[in-house]
Amino acid sequence: MKWPDALQEIIDEFKEIEDQFEKLEILMDFSSKVDELPTSDWNDETLVKGCQSVAHVKIDVNDGKVWLKSAADAKMVQGLQGILTIAINGNGVNEVLALTPEFAEEAGILNSLTPSRSNGFRTMFDMIQLMVRRSQ
Amino acid sequence: MKEDFPILSRQVNGRNLVYLDNAATTQKPHCVIDAMNQYYSLSNANVHRAVHTLAGEATEGYEKCRSLLKERYNASRAIITSGTTESINLVAHAWGEANLEDGDAVILTEMEHHSDIVPWQMLAERKSIELRYVPVIDGNLDMDIFDASLDGTKLVCVVHTSNVLGVRNPIEDIITKSKLAGAKVLIDAAQAVPHEEIDFEQLGADFMAFSAHKMCGPTGIGALLVSENAFEKMQPFMGGGDMIQTVSITGSTYQVNEHKFEAGTPRIAEGVGWAAALEWMSNIDLEKHHSRLINIARHVKQELVSKGMTVYSQLGEKDAAVVSFTHPSIHPEDFARLLDAQGIAVRTGHHCAQPLMERLGVSGTIRASFYIYNDEDDANTFLNGIDRVLEAMA
Repeated sequence: MKWPDALQEIIDEFKEIEDQFEKLEILMDFSSKVDELPTSDWNDETLVKGCQSVAHVKIDVNDGKVWLKSAADAKMVQGLQGILTIAINGNGVNEVLALTPEFAEEAGILNSLTPSRSNGFRTMFDMIQLMVRRSQ
Repeated sequence: MKEDFPILSRQVNGRNLVYLDNAATTQKPHCVIDAMNQYYSLSNANVHRAVHTLAGEATEGYEKCRSLLKERYNASRAIITSGTTESINLVAHAWGEANLEDGDAVILTEMEHHSDIVPWQMLAERKSIELRYVPVIDGNLDMDIFDASLDGTKLVCVVHTSNVLGVRNPIEDIITKSKLAGAKVLIDAAQAVPHEEIDFEQLGADFMAFSAHKMCGPTGIGALLVSENAFEKMQPFMGGGDMIQTVSITGSTYQVNEHKFEAGTPRIAEGVGWAAALEWMSNIDLEKHHSRLINIARHVKQELVSKGMTVYSQLGEKDAAVVSFTHPSIHPEDFARLLDAQGIAVRTGHHCAQPLMERLGVSGTIRASFYIYNDEDDANTFLNGIDRVLEAMA
Protein backbone atom coordinates (compact mmCIF):
# COMPACT_ATOMS: atom_id res chain seq x y z
CA MET A 1 0.00 0.00 0.00
CA LYS A 2 1.09 3.55 -0.73
CA TRP A 3 1.23 5.68 2.40
CA PRO A 4 1.46 9.48 2.73
CA ASP A 5 5.11 10.58 2.68
CA ALA A 6 5.35 11.47 6.38
CA LEU A 7 3.95 8.10 7.34
CA GLN A 8 6.14 6.21 4.87
CA GLU A 9 9.17 7.88 6.41
CA ILE A 10 8.15 6.62 9.86
CA ILE A 11 7.49 3.12 8.55
CA ASP A 12 10.93 3.05 6.93
CA GLU A 13 12.55 4.26 10.15
CA PHE A 14 10.98 1.42 12.13
CA LYS A 15 11.83 -1.15 9.48
CA GLU A 16 15.51 -0.31 9.82
CA ILE A 17 15.55 -1.21 13.52
CA GLU A 18 16.08 -4.88 14.26
CA ASP A 19 16.28 -4.80 18.05
CA GLN A 20 12.80 -4.93 19.55
CA PHE A 21 13.77 -2.90 22.60
CA GLU A 22 15.13 -0.10 20.44
CA LYS A 23 12.00 -0.19 18.30
CA LEU A 24 9.88 0.39 21.39
CA GLU A 25 12.18 3.19 22.53
CA ILE A 26 11.70 4.92 19.18
CA LEU A 27 7.95 4.37 19.45
CA MET A 28 7.95 6.09 22.84
CA ASP A 29 9.93 9.01 21.41
CA PHE A 30 6.95 9.76 19.16
CA SER A 31 4.99 10.68 22.29
CA SER A 32 6.53 14.15 21.95
CA LYS A 33 4.52 14.61 18.75
CA VAL A 34 1.18 14.36 20.55
CA ASP A 35 -1.02 17.45 20.54
CA GLU A 36 -2.18 17.04 24.14
CA LEU A 37 -5.89 16.80 24.90
CA PRO A 38 -6.25 18.45 28.31
CA THR A 39 -7.89 16.33 31.03
CA SER A 40 -10.64 18.94 31.30
CA ASP A 41 -11.76 17.83 27.81
CA TRP A 42 -11.82 14.11 28.67
CA ASN A 43 -15.24 12.53 28.64
CA ASP A 44 -17.03 9.32 27.67
CA GLU A 45 -17.03 10.41 24.03
CA THR A 46 -13.25 10.84 23.94
CA LEU A 47 -12.41 7.68 25.92
CA VAL A 48 -10.95 4.81 23.87
CA LYS A 49 -12.64 1.66 25.10
CA GLY A 50 -10.83 -1.66 24.88
CA CYS A 51 -7.42 -0.16 25.63
CA GLN A 52 -5.67 -1.43 28.77
CA SER A 53 -4.31 2.03 29.41
CA VAL A 54 -6.42 5.15 29.74
CA ALA A 55 -6.51 6.82 26.32
CA HIS A 56 -8.53 9.75 24.92
CA VAL A 57 -8.84 11.17 21.41
CA LYS A 58 -10.66 14.20 19.97
CA ILE A 59 -10.97 15.37 16.40
CA ASP A 60 -11.47 18.91 15.08
CA VAL A 61 -12.16 19.61 11.42
CA ASN A 62 -11.49 23.17 10.26
CA ASP A 63 -11.77 24.20 6.61
CA GLY A 64 -11.68 20.58 5.57
CA LYS A 65 -8.47 19.89 7.52
CA VAL A 66 -8.36 17.36 10.31
CA TRP A 67 -6.64 17.94 13.68
CA LEU A 68 -6.14 15.26 16.34
CA LYS A 69 -5.74 15.93 20.03
CA SER A 70 -5.02 12.97 22.28
CA ALA A 71 -3.72 11.75 25.63
CA ALA A 72 -2.82 8.45 27.31
CA ASP A 73 -1.20 7.26 30.52
CA ALA A 74 1.07 4.67 28.87
CA LYS A 75 4.06 5.97 26.97
CA MET A 76 3.67 3.49 24.11
CA VAL A 77 0.07 4.49 23.52
CA GLN A 78 1.26 8.09 23.52
CA GLY A 79 3.84 7.05 20.91
CA LEU A 80 1.11 5.57 18.72
CA GLN A 81 -0.92 8.73 19.17
CA GLY A 82 2.16 10.74 18.18
CA ILE A 83 2.45 8.80 14.92
CA LEU A 84 -1.27 9.25 14.26
CA THR A 85 -0.84 12.97 14.91
CA ILE A 86 1.82 13.16 12.20
CA ALA A 87 -0.30 11.05 9.84
CA ILE A 88 -3.46 13.09 10.41
CA ASN A 89 -2.86 16.68 11.42
CA GLY A 90 -3.42 19.20 8.66
CA ASN A 91 -4.52 16.60 6.14
CA GLY A 92 -7.85 16.61 4.35
CA VAL A 93 -10.83 14.55 5.42
CA ASN A 94 -10.55 12.17 2.49
CA GLU A 95 -6.87 11.57 3.07
CA VAL A 96 -7.52 10.72 6.71
CA LEU A 97 -10.39 8.43 5.79
CA ALA A 98 -8.15 6.67 3.26
CA LEU A 99 -5.69 5.69 6.00
CA THR A 100 -5.82 2.16 7.37
CA PRO A 101 -4.38 0.86 10.64
CA GLU A 102 -2.16 -1.59 8.71
CA PHE A 103 0.61 1.00 8.56
CA ALA A 104 1.40 0.09 12.18
CA GLU A 105 1.66 -3.55 11.17
CA GLU A 106 3.90 -2.75 8.23
CA ALA A 107 6.19 -0.74 10.50
CA GLY A 108 6.30 -3.70 12.85
CA ILE A 109 4.72 -1.63 15.63
CA LEU A 110 1.46 -3.52 15.88
CA ASN A 111 3.21 -6.86 16.10
CA SER A 112 5.28 -5.51 18.90
CA LEU A 113 2.22 -4.70 20.99
CA THR A 114 0.08 -6.91 23.19
CA PRO A 115 -3.12 -8.24 21.61
CA SER A 116 -5.24 -6.04 23.85
CA ARG A 117 -3.08 -3.05 23.05
CA SER A 118 -3.26 -3.85 19.35
CA ASN A 119 -7.01 -4.10 19.64
CA GLY A 120 -6.96 -0.84 21.56
CA PHE A 121 -4.96 0.75 18.77
CA ARG A 122 -7.42 -0.47 16.17
CA THR A 123 -10.30 0.77 18.31
CA MET A 124 -8.57 4.14 18.64
CA PHE A 125 -7.96 4.29 14.90
CA ASP A 126 -11.57 3.35 14.06
CA MET A 127 -12.85 5.86 16.59
CA ILE A 128 -10.84 8.67 15.02
CA GLN A 129 -12.16 7.88 11.54
CA LEU A 130 -15.72 7.68 12.88
CA MET A 131 -15.27 11.10 14.50
CA VAL A 132 -14.02 12.47 11.16
CA ARG A 133 -16.99 11.00 9.30
CA ARG A 134 -19.44 12.41 11.84
CA SER A 135 -17.89 15.86 11.59
CA GLN A 136 -18.90 16.15 7.94
CA MET B 1 14.07 -29.71 34.66
CA LYS B 2 14.12 -27.12 31.83
CA GLU B 3 15.06 -29.74 29.25
CA ASP B 4 11.69 -31.42 29.87
CA PHE B 5 9.95 -28.32 28.48
CA PRO B 6 10.62 -27.78 24.76
CA ILE B 7 9.23 -24.23 24.74
CA LEU B 8 11.82 -23.09 27.28
CA SER B 9 14.59 -23.51 24.73
CA ARG B 10 13.05 -21.09 22.23
CA GLN B 11 14.04 -17.49 21.71
CA VAL B 12 11.77 -14.46 21.90
CA ASN B 13 12.88 -11.23 20.27
CA GLY B 14 16.35 -12.65 19.84
CA ARG B 15 16.79 -13.59 23.51
CA ASN B 16 16.39 -16.85 25.42
CA LEU B 17 12.85 -17.00 26.73
CA VAL B 18 12.40 -16.35 30.46
CA TYR B 19 8.85 -17.34 31.20
CA LEU B 20 7.45 -15.71 34.35
CA ASP B 21 3.72 -15.77 33.59
CA ASN B 22 3.07 -19.07 35.31
CA ALA B 23 0.12 -17.87 37.37
CA ALA B 24 -1.67 -17.40 34.03
CA THR B 25 -0.63 -20.73 32.59
CA THR B 26 2.32 -23.09 32.92
CA GLN B 27 4.37 -24.68 30.16
CA LYS B 28 3.96 -28.32 29.15
CA PRO B 29 6.57 -31.04 29.43
CA HIS B 30 7.41 -33.32 26.48
CA CYS B 31 5.38 -36.18 27.96
CA VAL B 32 2.13 -34.17 27.88
CA ILE B 33 2.65 -33.03 24.30
CA ASP B 34 3.63 -36.58 23.26
CA ALA B 35 0.63 -38.16 25.01
CA MET B 36 -1.82 -35.87 23.22
CA ASN B 37 -0.04 -36.36 19.92
CA GLN B 38 -0.07 -40.11 20.38
CA TYR B 39 -3.74 -40.11 21.30
CA TYR B 40 -4.71 -38.28 18.11
CA SER B 41 -2.26 -40.32 16.03
CA LEU B 42 -3.24 -43.76 17.28
CA SER B 43 -6.31 -43.88 19.54
CA ASN B 44 -8.72 -41.11 18.59
CA ALA B 45 -12.35 -42.22 19.08
CA ASN B 46 -15.34 -41.15 21.11
CA VAL B 47 -15.45 -42.44 24.65
CA HIS B 48 -17.72 -44.68 26.65
CA ARG B 49 -20.32 -46.63 24.66
CA ALA B 50 -18.72 -47.95 21.49
CA VAL B 51 -17.25 -51.47 21.67
CA HIS B 52 -14.40 -51.11 19.19
CA THR B 53 -10.74 -51.07 20.22
CA LEU B 54 -10.09 -47.38 19.65
CA ALA B 55 -13.11 -46.38 21.74
CA GLY B 56 -11.79 -48.65 24.49
CA GLU B 57 -8.37 -47.00 24.38
CA ALA B 58 -9.88 -43.51 24.33
CA THR B 59 -12.14 -44.30 27.28
CA GLU B 60 -9.30 -45.81 29.22
CA GLY B 61 -7.05 -42.81 28.52
CA TYR B 62 -9.72 -40.31 29.51
CA GLU B 63 -10.93 -42.12 32.62
CA LYS B 64 -7.34 -42.60 33.75
CA CYS B 65 -7.26 -38.84 34.26
CA ARG B 66 -10.21 -39.07 36.67
CA SER B 67 -8.62 -41.98 38.56
CA LEU B 68 -5.34 -40.10 38.93
CA LEU B 69 -7.17 -37.00 40.16
CA LYS B 70 -9.06 -39.00 42.78
CA GLU B 71 -5.89 -40.69 43.88
CA ARG B 72 -3.71 -37.56 43.97
CA TYR B 73 -6.24 -35.45 45.88
CA ASN B 74 -7.93 -38.20 47.88
CA ALA B 75 -11.39 -37.42 46.54
CA SER B 76 -14.32 -39.74 45.98
CA ARG B 77 -15.89 -37.58 43.25
CA ALA B 78 -14.05 -35.81 40.44
CA ILE B 79 -16.17 -34.12 37.79
CA ILE B 80 -14.16 -33.23 34.70
CA THR B 81 -14.91 -29.73 33.44
CA SER B 82 -13.36 -27.20 31.08
CA GLY B 83 -11.51 -25.58 33.96
CA THR B 84 -11.89 -23.67 37.23
CA THR B 85 -14.42 -21.25 35.77
CA GLU B 86 -16.76 -23.99 34.58
CA SER B 87 -16.29 -25.87 37.85
CA ILE B 88 -17.47 -22.87 39.87
CA ASN B 89 -20.33 -22.19 37.49
CA LEU B 90 -21.31 -25.84 37.83
CA VAL B 91 -21.54 -25.45 41.62
CA ALA B 92 -23.66 -22.31 41.19
CA HIS B 93 -26.08 -24.11 38.84
CA ALA B 94 -26.05 -27.74 40.00
CA TRP B 95 -25.82 -27.12 43.75
CA GLY B 96 -26.72 -23.43 44.21
CA GLU B 97 -29.99 -23.54 42.27
CA ALA B 98 -31.18 -26.60 44.17
CA ASN B 99 -29.96 -25.81 47.66
CA LEU B 100 -29.89 -22.04 48.16
CA GLU B 101 -33.13 -20.38 49.12
CA ASP B 102 -34.25 -16.78 49.17
CA GLY B 103 -32.58 -14.97 52.05
CA ASP B 104 -29.58 -17.33 52.26
CA ALA B 105 -26.16 -15.72 52.31
CA VAL B 106 -23.05 -16.65 50.31
CA ILE B 107 -19.66 -15.44 51.53
CA LEU B 108 -17.11 -14.32 48.94
CA THR B 109 -13.89 -12.40 49.44
CA GLU B 110 -12.39 -9.34 47.79
CA MET B 111 -9.47 -11.54 46.82
CA GLU B 112 -11.53 -13.75 44.49
CA HIS B 113 -10.81 -14.11 40.79
CA HIS B 114 -13.73 -12.88 38.68
CA SER B 115 -14.61 -16.53 38.03
CA ASP B 116 -15.54 -16.88 41.71
CA ILE B 117 -17.52 -13.63 41.84
CA VAL B 118 -19.53 -13.36 38.63
CA PRO B 119 -21.30 -16.78 38.81
CA TRP B 120 -22.59 -15.83 42.28
CA GLN B 121 -23.67 -12.39 41.16
CA MET B 122 -25.55 -14.07 38.31
CA LEU B 123 -27.16 -16.51 40.76
CA ALA B 124 -28.11 -13.55 42.97
CA GLU B 125 -29.95 -12.13 39.95
CA ARG B 126 -31.97 -15.34 39.69
CA LYS B 127 -32.49 -15.92 43.42
CA SER B 128 -32.74 -13.51 46.34
CA ILE B 129 -29.47 -14.53 47.94
CA GLU B 130 -27.21 -12.14 49.78
CA LEU B 131 -23.53 -11.90 48.80
CA ARG B 132 -21.23 -10.98 51.68
CA TYR B 133 -17.68 -9.92 50.78
CA VAL B 134 -14.78 -10.40 53.19
CA PRO B 135 -12.43 -7.41 52.82
CA VAL B 136 -8.68 -7.64 52.30
CA ILE B 137 -6.61 -5.75 54.87
CA ASP B 138 -2.88 -5.38 54.29
CA GLY B 139 -2.94 -8.22 51.78
CA ASN B 140 -4.82 -10.67 54.02
CA LEU B 141 -8.45 -11.59 54.54
CA ASP B 142 -10.11 -9.78 57.43
CA MET B 143 -10.96 -12.86 59.49
CA ASP B 144 -12.98 -10.84 62.05
CA ILE B 145 -15.36 -9.82 59.28
CA PHE B 146 -15.37 -13.39 58.01
CA ASP B 147 -16.38 -14.67 61.47
CA ALA B 148 -19.07 -12.03 61.74
CA SER B 149 -20.45 -12.92 58.29
CA LEU B 150 -21.03 -16.62 58.98
CA ASP B 151 -24.45 -16.36 60.59
CA GLY B 152 -27.09 -17.24 57.97
CA THR B 153 -24.46 -18.27 55.43
CA LYS B 154 -25.08 -21.45 53.40
CA LEU B 155 -21.98 -21.35 51.24
CA VAL B 156 -18.47 -19.95 51.63
CA CYS B 157 -16.49 -19.40 48.42
CA VAL B 158 -12.84 -18.65 48.95
CA VAL B 159 -9.67 -18.61 46.93
CA HIS B 160 -7.00 -20.89 48.39
CA THR B 161 -4.05 -18.93 46.96
CA SER B 162 -4.41 -15.50 45.37
CA ASN B 163 -3.45 -15.20 41.71
CA VAL B 164 -2.45 -11.57 42.27
CA LEU B 165 -0.62 -11.58 45.58
CA GLY B 166 0.31 -15.24 45.94
CA VAL B 167 -1.07 -15.12 49.48
CA ARG B 168 -2.17 -18.49 50.81
CA ASN B 169 -5.34 -18.01 52.85
CA PRO B 170 -6.03 -19.78 56.18
CA ILE B 171 -8.16 -22.34 54.37
CA GLU B 172 -8.19 -24.92 57.19
CA ASP B 173 -9.47 -22.33 59.68
CA ILE B 174 -12.08 -21.08 57.18
CA ILE B 175 -13.35 -24.62 56.56
CA THR B 176 -13.54 -25.48 60.28
CA LYS B 177 -15.49 -22.32 61.10
CA SER B 178 -17.77 -22.68 58.08
CA LYS B 179 -18.60 -26.29 58.99
CA LEU B 180 -19.42 -25.27 62.55
CA ALA B 181 -21.79 -22.65 61.14
CA GLY B 182 -23.39 -25.28 58.89
CA ALA B 183 -22.13 -23.76 55.64
CA LYS B 184 -20.72 -25.60 52.63
CA VAL B 185 -17.29 -24.54 51.38
CA LEU B 186 -16.06 -24.08 47.83
CA ILE B 187 -12.32 -23.70 47.40
CA ASP B 188 -10.91 -22.04 44.27
CA ALA B 189 -7.67 -24.02 44.12
CA ALA B 190 -6.49 -22.91 40.67
CA GLN B 191 -3.31 -21.39 42.11
CA ALA B 192 -3.01 -23.91 44.93
CA VAL B 193 -2.69 -27.26 43.21
CA PRO B 194 0.42 -26.23 41.25
CA HIS B 195 2.23 -25.39 44.47
CA GLU B 196 1.17 -27.74 47.24
CA GLU B 197 -0.10 -31.23 47.85
CA ILE B 198 -3.75 -31.21 48.93
CA ASP B 199 -5.77 -33.95 50.59
CA PHE B 200 -9.34 -33.01 49.72
CA GLU B 201 -10.95 -35.48 52.11
CA GLN B 202 -8.80 -34.34 54.99
CA LEU B 203 -9.26 -30.67 54.14
CA GLY B 204 -13.00 -31.17 54.61
CA ALA B 205 -14.23 -28.77 51.90
CA ASP B 206 -17.32 -29.63 49.87
CA PHE B 207 -16.11 -28.40 46.49
CA MET B 208 -12.67 -27.76 45.06
CA ALA B 209 -12.18 -26.25 41.61
CA PHE B 210 -8.98 -26.15 39.59
CA SER B 211 -7.51 -26.24 36.08
CA ALA B 212 -5.03 -28.56 34.39
CA HIS B 213 -3.12 -25.86 32.55
CA LYS B 214 -1.78 -24.25 35.72
CA MET B 215 -0.04 -27.50 36.63
CA CYS B 216 1.69 -28.44 33.37
CA GLY B 217 -1.43 -29.96 31.83
CA PRO B 218 -3.37 -28.88 28.73
CA THR B 219 -5.71 -25.90 28.53
CA GLY B 220 -9.46 -26.45 28.27
CA ILE B 221 -9.75 -29.03 31.02
CA GLY B 222 -10.15 -28.88 34.77
CA ALA B 223 -11.95 -30.54 37.62
CA LEU B 224 -14.44 -30.10 40.38
CA LEU B 225 -13.85 -32.34 43.37
CA VAL B 226 -17.01 -32.84 45.40
CA SER B 227 -17.67 -34.38 48.79
CA GLU B 228 -20.07 -37.33 48.73
CA ASN B 229 -22.56 -35.42 50.81
CA ALA B 230 -22.62 -32.39 48.51
CA PHE B 231 -22.59 -34.62 45.39
CA GLU B 232 -25.90 -36.19 46.44
CA LYS B 233 -27.50 -32.78 46.56
CA MET B 234 -26.42 -31.66 43.09
CA GLN B 235 -28.95 -31.60 40.26
CA PRO B 236 -27.96 -32.09 36.60
CA PHE B 237 -27.21 -28.75 35.00
CA MET B 238 -26.45 -29.36 31.34
CA GLY B 239 -28.49 -31.95 29.48
CA GLY B 240 -27.38 -34.08 26.55
CA GLY B 241 -25.57 -37.24 25.58
CA ASP B 242 -23.37 -39.14 28.03
CA MET B 243 -25.15 -37.79 31.13
CA ILE B 244 -28.28 -39.94 30.70
CA GLN B 245 -29.22 -43.54 31.43
CA THR B 246 -32.34 -43.63 29.29
CA VAL B 247 -34.19 -41.11 27.14
CA SER B 248 -37.77 -41.41 25.90
CA ILE B 249 -40.20 -38.85 24.60
CA THR B 250 -41.86 -38.76 28.02
CA GLY B 251 -38.67 -38.08 29.96
CA SER B 252 -35.11 -39.11 30.79
CA THR B 253 -33.18 -40.72 33.60
CA TYR B 254 -29.70 -39.62 34.51
CA GLN B 255 -26.38 -41.23 35.24
CA VAL B 256 -25.66 -41.56 38.92
CA ASN B 257 -21.92 -40.95 38.83
CA GLU B 258 -19.86 -37.93 37.71
CA HIS B 259 -21.00 -38.44 34.11
CA LYS B 260 -24.31 -36.89 35.19
CA PHE B 261 -22.50 -33.54 35.02
CA GLU B 262 -20.48 -34.18 31.89
CA ALA B 263 -22.96 -33.89 29.03
CA GLY B 264 -21.63 -34.27 25.50
CA THR B 265 -18.35 -35.58 24.15
CA PRO B 266 -15.71 -34.72 26.73
CA ARG B 267 -12.20 -33.28 26.24
CA ILE B 268 -10.61 -36.64 25.55
CA ALA B 269 -7.18 -35.61 24.26
CA GLU B 270 -6.94 -33.06 27.06
CA GLY B 271 -7.84 -35.75 29.59
CA VAL B 272 -5.08 -37.95 28.18
CA GLY B 273 -2.67 -35.01 28.34
CA TRP B 274 -3.66 -34.14 31.90
CA ALA B 275 -3.19 -37.76 32.96
CA ALA B 276 0.36 -37.58 31.58
CA ALA B 277 0.94 -34.33 33.48
CA LEU B 278 -0.38 -35.83 36.71
CA GLU B 279 1.93 -38.82 36.34
CA TRP B 280 4.86 -36.51 35.63
CA MET B 281 3.95 -34.32 38.62
CA SER B 282 3.83 -37.36 40.89
CA ASN B 283 7.63 -37.46 40.63
CA ILE B 284 8.01 -33.80 41.51
CA ASP B 285 8.65 -32.75 45.10
CA LEU B 286 6.42 -29.67 45.25
CA GLU B 287 7.44 -28.82 48.80
CA LYS B 288 11.11 -28.73 47.88
CA HIS B 289 10.43 -26.57 44.83
CA HIS B 290 8.18 -24.32 46.86
CA SER B 291 10.85 -23.43 49.39
CA ARG B 292 13.35 -22.85 46.56
CA LEU B 293 10.95 -20.62 44.62
CA ILE B 294 9.75 -18.58 47.59
CA ASN B 295 13.37 -17.72 48.32
CA ILE B 296 13.90 -16.63 44.72
CA ALA B 297 10.71 -14.55 44.87
CA ARG B 298 11.80 -12.92 48.12
CA HIS B 299 15.15 -12.00 46.60
CA VAL B 300 13.35 -10.51 43.59
CA LYS B 301 11.03 -8.58 45.90
CA GLN B 302 13.95 -7.17 47.85
CA GLU B 303 15.69 -6.06 44.65
CA LEU B 304 12.54 -4.51 43.22
CA VAL B 305 11.94 -2.53 46.40
CA SER B 306 15.54 -1.29 46.32
CA LYS B 307 14.94 -0.15 42.71
CA GLY B 308 11.97 1.97 43.82
CA MET B 309 9.11 -0.40 43.08
CA THR B 310 6.06 -0.98 45.30
CA VAL B 311 5.67 -4.73 45.85
CA TYR B 312 2.24 -5.95 46.94
CA SER B 313 3.10 -9.61 47.58
CA GLN B 314 4.03 -10.45 51.15
CA LEU B 315 5.63 -13.81 50.28
CA GLY B 316 4.95 -15.58 53.54
CA GLU B 317 6.23 -19.11 54.11
CA LYS B 318 3.23 -20.81 52.44
CA ASP B 319 2.49 -18.17 49.79
CA ALA B 320 3.03 -18.86 46.10
CA ALA B 321 6.09 -17.34 44.40
CA VAL B 322 4.14 -14.49 42.82
CA VAL B 323 5.61 -10.98 42.82
CA SER B 324 3.09 -8.25 41.99
CA PHE B 325 4.50 -4.77 41.75
CA THR B 326 4.15 -1.31 40.30
CA HIS B 327 6.56 1.50 39.50
CA PRO B 328 5.69 5.03 40.67
CA SER B 329 5.68 6.46 37.14
CA ILE B 330 6.16 3.75 34.49
CA HIS B 331 2.90 2.29 33.20
CA PRO B 332 2.69 -1.50 33.73
CA GLU B 333 2.00 -2.04 30.03
CA ASP B 334 5.12 -0.14 29.00
CA PHE B 335 7.09 -2.10 31.56
CA ALA B 336 5.85 -5.46 30.30
CA ARG B 337 6.44 -4.58 26.65
CA LEU B 338 10.00 -3.54 27.33
CA LEU B 339 10.59 -6.77 29.25
CA ASP B 340 9.07 -8.79 26.40
CA ALA B 341 11.45 -7.06 24.00
CA GLN B 342 14.17 -8.74 26.09
CA GLY B 343 12.49 -12.17 25.95
CA ILE B 344 10.96 -11.92 29.43
CA ALA B 345 7.28 -12.84 29.75
CA VAL B 346 5.33 -11.26 32.63
CA ARG B 347 1.69 -10.26 32.96
CA THR B 348 0.13 -6.86 33.52
CA GLY B 349 -3.34 -5.59 34.22
CA HIS B 350 -5.99 -6.34 36.80
CA HIS B 351 -5.42 -10.13 36.64
CA CYS B 352 -9.20 -10.73 36.61
CA ALA B 353 -9.40 -9.47 40.18
CA GLN B 354 -10.74 -5.94 39.92
CA PRO B 355 -12.19 -5.75 43.47
CA LEU B 356 -8.72 -6.57 44.84
CA MET B 357 -7.14 -3.94 42.57
CA GLU B 358 -9.61 -1.43 43.94
CA ARG B 359 -8.63 -2.39 47.48
CA LEU B 360 -4.93 -2.04 46.59
CA GLY B 361 -5.70 1.35 45.06
CA VAL B 362 -4.21 0.55 41.65
CA SER B 363 -5.69 -0.12 38.21
CA GLY B 364 -3.21 -2.90 37.56
CA THR B 365 0.13 -4.40 38.51
CA ILE B 366 3.04 -6.11 36.82
CA ARG B 367 3.17 -9.74 37.93
CA ALA B 368 6.13 -12.08 37.77
CA SER B 369 5.10 -15.59 38.79
CA PHE B 370 7.66 -18.37 39.18
CA TYR B 371 7.20 -22.10 38.72
CA ILE B 372 9.12 -25.34 39.19
CA TYR B 373 11.25 -24.92 36.05
CA ASN B 374 12.35 -21.35 36.93
CA ASP B 375 15.70 -20.83 38.59
CA GLU B 376 17.97 -18.11 39.93
CA ASP B 377 19.30 -17.39 36.44
CA ASP B 378 15.74 -16.52 35.36
CA ALA B 379 15.39 -14.20 38.34
CA ASN B 380 18.70 -12.49 37.53
CA THR B 381 17.81 -12.09 33.85
CA PHE B 382 14.50 -10.59 34.95
CA LEU B 383 16.21 -8.15 37.33
CA ASN B 384 18.74 -7.15 34.65
CA GLY B 385 15.81 -6.62 32.30
CA ILE B 386 14.20 -4.36 34.91
CA ASP B 387 17.42 -2.33 35.09
CA ARG B 388 17.41 -1.83 31.33
CA VAL B 389 13.79 -0.66 31.44
CA LEU B 390 14.54 1.79 34.24
CA GLU B 391 17.52 3.11 32.32
CA ALA B 392 15.48 3.55 29.13
CA MET B 393 12.65 5.29 30.94
CA ALA B 394 14.84 7.55 33.12
